[in-house]
Formats: sequence, C-alpha cells, structure tokens
Amino acid sequence: MATIAAHGITARLPAGFEGRIFVRPPVHGHTYPVAQFATFAIPDDVGDFGSGAVQLMGPSDVFATLFEYGPESLGRALFARQGRPVSFAESDFSPIRLRRGIPGQSGTQCFFTESERPFSLYVVLGSQGMRRVLLPRVNELLGSFTISPPVGAVPEAVRAPEPGLN
Amino acid sequence: MNTGVEGKGDRVVALVIVSTFVVLVLGILVAGLLRSHADILRSLHELGVGVGDPAANGTGAGATAVPVAAPGPGLRSPPPSPPLGVAPAVAGVTPGGDARAVALDHGNHLTLLGFLSSGCASCAAFWDALQTPGRLALPAGTRVVIVTKGPDREVPSEVQARATGRVPVVMSTEAWLDYQVPGSPFFVLVDGTSGRTVGQGVAGGVGQLTELVRRAEHDRGAAADGQGAAQTGLGGPARAAAADDVLRAAGILPGDPSLYPRTLDDVFPKGRGTPGPAGVPGDRAAAG
Repeated sequence: MATIAAHGITARLPAGFEGRIFVRPPVHGHTYPVAQFATFAIPDDVGDFGSGAVQLMGPSDVFATLFEYGPESLGRALFARQGRPVSFAESDFSPIRLRRGIPGQSGTQCFFTESERPFSLYVVLGSQGMRRVLLPRVNELLGSFTISPPVGAVPEAVRAPEPGLN
Repeated sequence: MNTGVEGKGDRVVALVIVSTFVVLVLGILVAGLLRSHADILRSLHELGVGVGDPAANGTGAGATAVPVAAPGPGLRSPPPSPPLGVAPAVAGVTPGGDARAVALDHGNHLTLLGFLSSGCASCAAFWDALQTPGRLALPAGTRVVIVTKGPDREVPSEVQARATGRVPVVMSTEAWLDYQVPGSPFFVLVDGTSGRTVGQGVAGGVGQLTELVRRAEHDRGAAADGQGAAQTGLGGPARAAAADDVLRAAGILPGDPSLYPRTLDDVFPKGRGTPGPAGVPGDRAAAG
C-alpha cells in the first residue's frame, strides 16, 4: 500500500490505485492543491477534473479528484458541509453528473470543508452498469486520505534536502 | 697467521648476521604486503566486484563491467541478484515538491522503470532517451517512469533540471530499496497484466535497453497468444471451420488421403521420409 503526502494531504492508496498531489504553477493569483487518484495510468498532462484521463478509462476503472478552493470560499453555502462524506451510495452516481459526458460512465461530485480547507471531490466510474462493483473501491479510497489544517502544515515533500548526501 | 684467520671468521659471522637481519626485514615487509593485498581483495569481494570471485567464473570473457554507484549512507546492501516478483508501487515526491505514486499492477501494458541519478555520468544518455520515448522505439503503450533517490539523497533542483515533464519523475529512496537497485543506471520492466517484474538489469547503452524491452514485449505477446489459443474454446461448426483453415494452410485439402488413412503409407507416404512429431497434422493444427 503506497502512501503519498504533499501540500497537507496524505493518502494511503488502496491496492490498484495510483495518485498524485500537486499544485499548478500560478498564472494569475494563487493556485491550490489538487489530488488525483485512479486505477489506471494517470497522464502527466491531465486536467484538474480529469480531462485527458477519463477518456482513457476502462469499464472497471475509477477516477477521483480532490480539488481545493481558496480560503475566500470558506463559509459559503456551497461548502457548508463539514467533512467529506463517509461513503457514497449507488444513487449518488449518475451520467448527468459528469463534467464530460462519456457514454457509459457516471459520476458524482460533492463540496465540503475539512480542516478549515474548502474542497470539491469529483468521482468518475468507468461504467454506470458496474457501479455496484466499483462503489466499494471508491469508498475505500474515500477513507484513505487525510487532510491537515492549512496553517503549520509543512509537507515533508517540500522540505529542503540536507546538503552533502548525494 | 691465527690473527688473520680469526679476522676473516669475524667478518663472515658479521656478514651472516647482517644477511639474516636483512632477510628477516624483507620477510616482514612481504608478509605485510600480502596481508594488505588480502585485505583489499576481501573488501572487493564484499562489494561484489572481487577479482576471481567464484560467482563470476561462469560468465567468462563475456562478462562486462557494470557501473555501480556506491550506496548512500543508511542504504542496506542489496543481494547480488534480486529476485523477479511482484512489482510494488513507486511512491515518492516529484522534483517540484508534489507527491506521486505510480501503480504497476493495472493496464495491459509494460512499464519501464529507469532508476537514474542526477550526478551519474553514465545516466546522462538515459535521461535524454527515456524522456523521448520515440527515440527509444519502445513497443506501443509502454509507460516510462524515471525514479531517482528521494530528496534525502538527491538535490531536487538538479533532478528538476533534467526532467522535461514528458514522463513522470518520482524521487523515492524507498523504491530503490524495494527493487534492490544496486546502482544507477538500472532498469526494471513490469508487466501490468500480472503486476510482476519481467526483466531487470543494467544496460550499457540505449540500444541495449530498447532490445531488452522489445524482447520482453515479444515474449509477453507469444505467451498471450498461446494462452489465447488454449482458451479459445471453439465448438461445433466454428471449431470445424477453424480446423479446415489450419489444414488448408498446411496444404491438406478436402479429399487428401491423409484425412482417410487406411495404412501408415497413407499418413507417411514413402519418399517423404518419416516425419518427426512436428509433421503430424494434429500437431500442425495445434501449432497454428
């Protein structure tokens, strides 16, 4: 079970999942962390919400992205929910909730605040017909990551290396 | 007279004493040199590059020098030949400070892990080649991932300077330990279908690396074809049609006497020699 951590997000990836936690270089203003998890090879040039990746999904694949918004979103009604959902139900997934309507796929999206950080979690199933089989994997992933508070969270990934150890 | 004889005898005694002393000193020097030589050989054997190492005798003149980077402090010594097995995920950070985990047990494709260092001279060509997959002419769908040691043993800015962003670059000392990487450059090829390592080792050049991957892909394809034929499970008319196709391809047309043998001569006509097992029509069909 691989564990990755950066930018205040730690994920103990379930078997078969790979992932990345990154911050895009800012073009205007600030950018915030994005975490992506998938049961297939995630391309490097994938969009925040899976553009460029969901097209590669097979019927038995799962893709999820955890997208952080800026602190100005805190307190807004959209992010009123405290904490991520404990689990998803089959009824949460629907083809009409996809950002990119790819036939056969289905998705869900929720907004919440956790550790004083506003997030959106967007999940895509490779096949709506296989949602009963895929849902346990999604829920396992849902419980696999932790979110640290924004202040004082210095991710291990960005610590400066000690000199002279190469 | 006696005085002269005694003087000669004294000189001979003195000469013998001096010679004995010199021999003793030289003996001590030689013993010291031999001990020093033995210490050096022992150290080389412990590093796995000893001269006259019994493990290397079988390779003969074909053995090639392998660039081995000294492991950093705290790294455990790898065994000389790591076993092939289940390929663990590669998890670490990117040179830019992001986190990245690459799973190797999904997808019907090969993944080539290139364990490289930023300061390794022999790695330079591979940094360029691996980030230009077209130059490597790898089989279609082969995923390339570069793995360096973690930020505790590599300077991220130097790794970043070599990364082009075209392929994932993961900094992970744990991956080096998981795959028992003896030094850089080192390569591991993983079959995503089985999630297992199908090849690993050191390549002296880009050409050798390409050949390693292409052979693995060829072997994998052959194995898949064999499995597919065994699992085809045709029945009824489809099976008959498939058998007809195979026989027709082998030159056995409808009405061929070999299809209605009455004697051995019908199956093995005289003048065509006695065929080996491969000449039996049934085996041809199986091979097809």
